Amino acid sequence: MRWVDFKESVSEFWTDFKREKTGILGLFLLVLLVFTALAAPMITSPDIPEKWKTFWLGNPKNVPPTWINAFSSQDLAPHLAIEGSELQKYMRSTDSGYVIEIPYNNEYDIPPQDIVFKDVVGKSGGIRKPTLTVKVQRPDGKTVTLLENYKFSGNTVIQLGTNPAVRDALIKWVKSEGIYIDPTQEFQYKTLMDATRVLFGKLNENILEKPEALKGTYIFTFEINVPKDASVNFDNAKIIFTGRTYGWLGTDFKGRDLLAGIIWGSRVSLAIGVSVAVFSVIVGIFYGVTSAYFGGWTDEMMMRFQEFMASIPSLPILILMGTYFGGHIALWQIVVLLVVFGWVGVARVARSMALQIKEQTYVEAARVLGAGTGRIIFKHMVPQLLPYAFAQMALGVPGAVLSEASLSFLGLGDPTAVTWGQILHDAQAAGAATNGYWWWVIPPGLAIALVGFTFVLIGTALDRVLNPRLRRM
Amino acid sequence: MGFGKYVLIRILNAIIVLTLVTLVMSALFVKVAEKDLENRIIEQVNAEFQSLQKQGKAPDNPDEWRAQRIAYYRHEYKLDRSYLWRIQYYFKRTITFDFGNTRNPVFGSERDVKAILKGAIPRTIQLFTTAQIIIIFLGILLGVKAAQMVGSLFDRALSVLALIMSSIPMWWFGMIMLLIFAFELGWFPARSIPDPNLTGWAHILDILKRMVLPVSTIVIVSFGAWAWVIRNIMIGTMQEDFIMAARAKGVPERKVIYGHALRAAAPPVVTMVIMGLLGSLGGAIITESVFTWPGMGRVYWIALETNETNLIMGLTFVNVILYLAAVIIADLTYGFLDPRVKVGASQKV
Repeated sequence: MRWVDFKESVSEFWTDFKREKTGILGLFLLVLLVFTALAAPMITSPDIPEKWKTFWLGNPKNVPPTWINAFSSQDLAPHLAIEGSELQKYMRSTDSGYVIEIPYNNEYDIPPQDIVFKDVVGKSGGIRKPTLTVKVQRPDGKTVTLLENYKFSGNTVIQLGTNPAVRDALIKWVKSEGIYIDPTQEFQYKTLMDATRVLFGKLNENILEKPEALKGTYIFTFEINVPKDASVNFDNAKIIFTGRTYGWLGTDFKGRDLLAGIIWGSRVSLAIGVSVAVFSVIVGIFYGVTSAYFGGWTDEMMMRFQEFMASIPSLPILILMGTYFGGHIALWQIVVLLVVFGWVGVARVARSMALQIKEQTYVEAARVLGAGTGRIIFKHMVPQLLPYAFAQMALGVPGAVLSEASLSFLGLGDPTAVTWGQILHDAQAAGAATNGYWWWVIPPGLAIALVGFTFVLIGTALDRVLNPRLRRM
Repeated sequence: MGFGKYVLIRILNAIIVLTLVTLVMSALFVKVAEKDLENRIIEQVNAEFQSLQKQGKAPDNPDEWRAQRIAYYRHEYKLDRSYLWRIQYYFKRTITFDFGNTRNPVFGSERDVKAILKGAIPRTIQLFTTAQIIIIFLGILLGVKAAQMVGSLFDRALSVLALIMSSIPMWWFGMIMLLIFAFELGWFPARSIPDPNLTGWAHILDILKRMVLPVSTIVIVSFGAWAWVIRNIMIGTMQEDFIMAARAKGVPERKVIYGHALRAAAPPVVTMVIMGLLGSLGGAIITESVFTWPGMGRVYWIALETNETNLIMGLTFVNVILYLAAVIIADLTYGFLDPRVKVGASQKV
């Protein structure tokens, strides 16, 4: 094929394709998906696959996305982390150390789960260690001392909500404000109460049982006292108001940001879907054409083998292969296995199409002129099958994506990659559906369906444009 | 005689496929089991050593004793034989449904793989056939309806539904059903294992109630594609001459469709139904595990989570057999319904 011819046929194809509205919609979705997949490291961060294996300690666990506040009567506090230069802004040095003063505007019915002072490193040369005192000034003018002279050294994480000293201090404060606490219940409150809700609660007799949120600006003062021979490093320090909601898609049981997982999952899904479809079709086309070209015994043997492959159920064998590879199949292994089972259907159709082409006079002419087998197959027969091949490639993607997701869902996926199937596996293992963690269940499946739908749209449009003779409707 | 020969050839073919697949499976399995057994032997020998130590009868030469015990167990588990010998050994055992035991009990106290499968397969079939009957019924009804009015809003809606549903993972849709109907609305129980305290009618009602969610998941995800396939076949048949002739004769339209057209379209429809049934079997099996329905899907999930290789081998083998049996049934019905297939086969032999 000459270059001019090629250019012409491409532009001809494009004018036809432009008329297919569903095809254009599919193309648009594909561009969007490819963009997401390519830009994943920029949109989120490049170390997500590494981080995905670990617990994300600063994040709340199993919390819904922040935008649900728009739909519910109760406002839940979002996640807020103050770190780096923002933290520096609130910090000043004093004679005896540092003071961090953070104003927090609580406009939510349910305040943050916890307040965490994280990754502050204390070093002390002598006996005296750096100490921390935390005070809160509430909107009603009351000041509560949560923590007093807490000694720390090394890399320290202080969770104010669960710290026993803080809980003690809160109970003591409630008592000192003249609210009666049943002495028999006091211990129970100390262990079971939701400390931040008390801290952010309206001061009345219900503050321990059913705290109501007191809205307004709270000023948290962290006083760090540094003795002479000690030092404190704030390079990685963070102050986190652990949210009752998180980001756009919430978090899972390890505190992982599900949005990042969904974005990264698109890479695996697209890569596997497209490569499996392309390779299966290539193998199938060449298998079918070769079989048809040689005919006779070769054809018989090749078709027997094809029938044999077609009568093997793929999923059970894939699962067995998964256990053979040690419980996890690497991505390239999944591609190879799915191709091994994927070329069968294409080969059958390609053979019957090639049988027709074989009888054409130009093939005979080429043979008479002395063209070799390879030349006839590659130059005269395969190009005729290309339209069918392209449509099949697009139509083969959803099946491959579903197979990969199913294997990952069963826990056989590649552990080094983030995939939608694995997110759903974790969700199933954690009983997300029966516990109502909808934000964990719905998005990955929708994403899988979106990829499948995109390629179905493109495939059917391609089929209509490239194979008008096969149009059945 | 033609049909008998045709049946024989199909069955022989299936047996050859089964033999080859089982050989490949055995070859894979021997490798998997080797690692598994070696770990188990070391565990066993260590446990024996500790119990001897406790009794104060620790052997004088621990290393030699250990090597001896390991050699004994290796012989016991046939690990000292050649790879090829073990393949044929496992092959024979698999063919005779001897899959051995699991390490941990599954479904209560059962450890025998054969017994576990015996319990699970009927439950899978029960769920799957119920769903399939509904799907076929809905598919024929809607497909014929769409074929009658090609290009109408109903027809296009059906096509779009079929397209969308074919790219949704069935097991994910099951999770969504659980979220909505078990968690949010609380209409149906989330777990499918029946209440052991109920008997009689209450027991049957309980099972039926627990079947609603899994069955409707399978039905909703698959029926659109079914109706679409039947629609396409019917459109082709409706353009045949004999339909025109029947209409010209004045046969009522209902009879033309259900008596003449559907009957002529039966062979491809039946094969499509059975092949599609096989295609959705995998998805349906995974869907089971979402609902903790105690069928094969649940066993698969447990086997994979707890790494029970014997159980996985048994499941795979049974699945292959079920699949091949269904393929034979599809072939036979086709041959039975479409005389041309039979003639082609019988003329050759």
